[in-house]
Amino acid sequence: MTDLLQLLFAGLSQGAVYALVAIGFVAIFTVSGVINLAQGEFAALAGLVAISAVGSGLPLLAAVVLAVVSVALVAVIMERLVIFPVKRMTTLVSLILTLGVSTGLKALMLLVYGPNAEGLTPLTPGGFSVAGVSIRYQELWILLIAGIVSLAVYWFYERTLAGKSLRACAEQPVAARLVGISLTKASLISFLIAGTVGAIAGVLASPIFFTSWESGLTLGLKGFVAATLGGLISVRGAVLGGLLLGVLETLTAGYISTGLRDAVAFLLLIIVLVARPAGIFGRSAEARV
Amino acid sequence: MSLEVRGLHAGYGRLAVLHGIDLSAGEGELVAVIGANGAGKTTLLRALSGLLPVTAGTVHLAGTDVTGYGPEKLARTGLAHVPENRLVFPSLSVADNLVLGGYTRRRGPASARAEARDRAMALFPRLEPRLEQAAGTLSGGEQQMLAIARGLMAQPRVLVLDEPSVGLAPRLVGEIFSALGQLRDDGLTLVVVEQNARAAFAVADRVSVMDRGRVVLEGDPAALSTDPRVSGGFLGGGFAADADADAAPAAEAPGGTPVVPRSGSGATRATERT
Ligand SMILES: Nc1ncnc2c1ncn2[C@@H]1O[C@H](COP(=O)(O)OP(=O)(O)OP(=O)(O)O)[C@@H](O)[C@H]1O
Ligand SMILES: [Mg+2]
Repeated sequence: MTDLLQLLFAGLSQGAVYALVAIGFVAIFTVSGVINLAQGEFAALAGLVAISAVGSGLPLLAAVVLAVVSVALVAVIMERLVIFPVKRMTTLVSLILTLGVSTGLKALMLLVYGPNAEGLTPLTPGGFSVAGVSIRYQELWILLIAGIVSLAVYWFYERTLAGKSLRACAEQPVAARLVGISLTKASLISFLIAGTVGAIAGVLASPIFFTSWESGLTLGLKGFVAATLGGLISVRGAVLGGLLLGVLETLTAGYISTGLRDAVAFLLLIIVLVARPAGIFGRSAEARV
Repeated sequence: MSLEVRGLHAGYGRLAVLHGIDLSAGEGELVAVIGANGAGKTTLLRALSGLLPVTAGTVHLAGTDVTGYGPEKLARTGLAHVPENRLVFPSLSVADNLVLGGYTRRRGPASARAEARDRAMALFPRLEPRLEQAAGTLSGGEQQMLAIARGLMAQPRVLVLDEPSVGLAPRLVGEIFSALGQLRDDGLTLVVVEQNARAAFAVADRVSVMDRGRVVLEGDPAALSTDPRVSGGFLGGGFAADADADAAPAAEAPGGTPVVPRSGSGATRATERT
């Protein structure tokens, strides 16, 4: 029983990180049909920027803010340089382009930060134990901040005019243009959101899961699987998908074999794509974001 | 606000669809544009509202040259486009669809937005009890009303509509067209593309007939509705197919779509351009 609680808790905090990365996929895909393979690199880059800023003497909070802001900027620049100039964007073209950006970012990180994995200083070091379940303070921070960020993103899409205008672009691009919404601006904003949530995921995860130039690969894949579980067009689905994936992974690692941990994501992906391509949490195919 | 189109050419990439369209609608006038499938009616409206680039010719709104304006700038200038197939935002509520319709006026006075909304609600009272419903769950007729109401939220002076009656029961067609007539009486300039010639002729001040990217006939609806070329060729039989339409004998061979030069249709050019 204690084992189970311990695994569930670890799975949820891991899943919360996946959820944030998944929200990034959804934000971009709904607006422009682009699948951003550099989404995981946003998280890795933010972790590395924060670690090196702390290393050069910046206070932790300032380092985190610096990391999130600079990665958001990288995402925006990426959109302007790579996505915006393409006249007829298709999902296939987007895969090729963003794979290029992902590779470029990885090379850059290796060059600048070296090959070693490091962990960011936790927001609050240490932990405690209740009913035999040991809990690190950083895990509580992950759950709290990921929860707040997810709710904020959800609120943005559901309640604000800017958020609704992004949903309008996703649902009826022609009508969105006719009411005066700029699709190119919408695409830019979607990358800003994706960069920001990806960076937050990266700095939250780093103290526990460590960061290296290549940690974006797995994180990106897991985030993509989580987003796909939710149908790729729903923030709510992405969050639920992330939590489910995190929990299933830790349960598999705990009860079956640690070696199978990473296989869970692919197994889930295959099952969902075959059985329910619209996602397991999908409402109707029409209800986007 | 008047709309003046001169020698308009537009198309899709290398495919030219419009070959020099002339069309004018004076302030407070309702002009119907009819024509068979593929005549280029939708293409004309897309070019008018900036969705498609104009390759030659000009568009003027109230005397100002707006050729080459994008949709956003045109919406702010006062032209709203109610697109073919309604294109409401399905997962958004009716109220949110309306709010987005006023997107270009979001920084304008709240009173003007409220007034636009009240007018739209008065025109289509059926929408009022459904404001919180997702737009995708509305009936076809209600979606059409919403699409028009959304267009009105942009506070336009010129409204162009693409087949507002398509797929609707006759009673709803009547409802929609009487709303359009009301808007015209309030001083709005309207261009209505229609296949339902009967409904269009009933409210239009003037009618233009398009065929293969050209305006081939224009005149007042009374004169044109009895014109054999209208009932015969240009609508692909659509007008004559109406059971109680004047069964004017088709002068041209059925199926064939003769291109009559506009200068040769003097008799039907009942209205002077202004
Ligand atoms: N997106 C497009 N790309 C290429 N060609 C197009 C496109 N849209 C329309 N066309 C072509 O342009 C021509 C005119 O089409 P348009 O949609 O303007 O006709 P329409 O008069 O609106 O017809 P309908 O009454 O069926 O709506 C047609 O030959 C059509 O095949
Ligand atoms: Mg059409």
